[in-house]
Amino acid sequence: MPLIEAIGLTKKFRQAVKEPGLVGSLKHFFTRQYKDKLAVDHIDLSVEAGESVAYLGPNGAGKSTTIKMLTGILVPTSGSLIVDGLVPHEKRQQNARNIGVVFGQRTQLWWDIPVIESFNLARDMYEIPPKQYKANLAEFTELLGLAEFMNLPAGKISLGQRMRADLCMALLHDPKMLYLDEPTIGLDIAVKDSIRKFIRSRVEESGTTVMLTTHDLGDIEDICNRIVIIDNGKIIHDGDLAALKDNYARDRVIHFQLARPPESMAPICAGLPACELTNDGLSLSVRFDRFQFAAGEIAAAVMPYVEVLDFRIDEPEVEDLIRKVYLGQLTLDAPDSAANATEPAVPLGA
Amino acid sequence: MHLRKYAAIAKASLEVIFVYRASFALNMVGTVFYVVAMFYLWQTIFLGSPGALGGFTWPEMKAYLLVAFLLNSLMTWFDEWVMGRDVREGRVAVDLARPIDYQTKRFAEAVGPIPFELFSALLVGSVVVFVFGGIALPTDPAHFALFIVSVALATLLKFSIIYCVSMTAFWTTGMTGIVVGRVAIQNLFSGALIPLVFFPDWLRAIAAVLPFQGLVSTPALTYLGKMDGPTTALMLGIQAVWAFGLLLFGRLLWRGAVKAVTINGG
Repeated sequence: MPLIEAIGLTKKFRQAVKEPGLVGSLKHFFTRQYKDKLAVDHIDLSVEAGESVAYLGPNGAGKSTTIKMLTGILVPTSGSLIVDGLVPHEKRQQNARNIGVVFGQRTQLWWDIPVIESFNLARDMYEIPPKQYKANLAEFTELLGLAEFMNLPAGKISLGQRMRADLCMALLHDPKMLYLDEPTIGLDIAVKDSIRKFIRSRVEESGTTVMLTTHDLGDIEDICNRIVIIDNGKIIHDGDLAALKDNYARDRVIHFQLARPPESMAPICAGLPACELTNDGLSLSVRFDRFQFAAGEIAAAVMPYVEVLDFRIDEPEVEDLIRKVYLGQLTLDAPDSAANATEPAVPLGA
Repeated sequence: MHLRKYAAIAKASLEVIFVYRASFALNMVGTVFYVVAMFYLWQTIFLGSPGALGGFTWPEMKAYLLVAFLLNSLMTWFDEWVMGRDVREGRVAVDLARPIDYQTKRFAEAVGPIPFELFSALLVGSVVVFVFGGIALPTDPAHFALFIVSVALATLLKFSIIYCVSMTAFWTTGMTGIVVGRVAIQNLFSGALIPLVFFPDWLRAIAAVLPFQGLVSTPALTYLGKMDGPTTALMLGIQAVWAFGLLLFGRLLWRGAVKAVTINGG
């Protein structure tokens, strides 16, 4: 049985509609008008234990609303939701024991008392057996480097330190399921890195199931093996990261470093139909569809006309890919077009 | 009940007081000035009319003022503002994702500092006693025992009232005005400023149907043994009904508010 099973999960919010200005406010006071907004629109989602899922989508797509339903904070409008055999909002406290939550924008730590006291509080709140608490605390302190600020209150530590401490606090009770809502927001590269490594180690060593929302695509590549993309409350992609890249990241760019500027671009262009060539003196870039050409074919088409000193190939960035999805330039629900394109369509030199 | 987790919250809440010790001390100084001013005010009144006033002798009045001071010194750190912050900053969500009951958590937070508040109030109280002297003591140990019960009920009642009022945070953002308003009404109708016997009849009638008299008047009159047996029992009963009734009402308000937020959106 999957750890998370959502079928037709829907959340509708009622928003007050108010006309601008004082008159609008007055009108609203007497005759309230509401508009329904579908934040999450009939989503089906099934997550097996041990998976690490990136839950992506532009702002306002319904990510946080979904997470809040999964954690039992929000009551779904319709649909069914079972997390580890429980309906989260009906058994909120029981569900809370099985999960760890990190909200990147809010801390769970007590502002005024030392970090270690917050951890002790978590020990009592989650009724963690002393042995388990001690072992986990020691391990996480080591992995996350918490020792230097353990005795400072949460209000006096940096954002990076706070996030590391929050992560520790969310995992002290060995939750089966870890929800991370933008865990690396506003952090520097080094801290991001250590946090990602830590989460990855939880997935691999403790079999913790992770679901994270993020706008940072580094989080996805380092932590997750599955990507779910939501937009306008609907899931528009659900699959593993490699497949996403294979199916949709078709553009590659080869950069050639030249000994001399090419005498003419025309013959090169003629040899590479449907490719985008850019040349500024000593560098030449060719953007091509990798289902149409192999990198070697591009090189073979270029080499006769110029002297190449060096070259490199740019892999597609997941970031670009997802940006395209957000912008509607890529539709992910048409996988057959990608499948058809796997044969080289135009023979070289044709 | 998982007492241990709430005990841990209470302990953490007590620790916070020590973090803000300067603020706590200043607050205390303010209360001391207030209580001293009240003593001189009433001293002047009693000097003007020797003997009993409204049934109070001067030593009894002093005892009344001290009891009022003691009760006002408890649970000073718990007010509506925190709830406002929790709602505004979305911390309610954080608490909802934890295996705790919100009201019990807030109660633990409110109760945590009480040992220290009690200690400070007794310290200040004994200095005042030393300066002014001649405080009326309970004539009967039974009164004193009932007084302790009444203080406990008053403390619970204070929590319940503030908890209920703090639920307005779900509908308004300016909690400061709410705190000030509640404190003003509470000071008047609890008898903390003036014993209720000095009120005109109509105002006393209003005070009688409000929960606030249980905060100061009931415990203070119990201490002084001003009420006969049945009246004391009745007043303690009323105090208990308000304390537990509002506790329950607060739970319902919270449930309603959370439902409104989690079902319809904030």
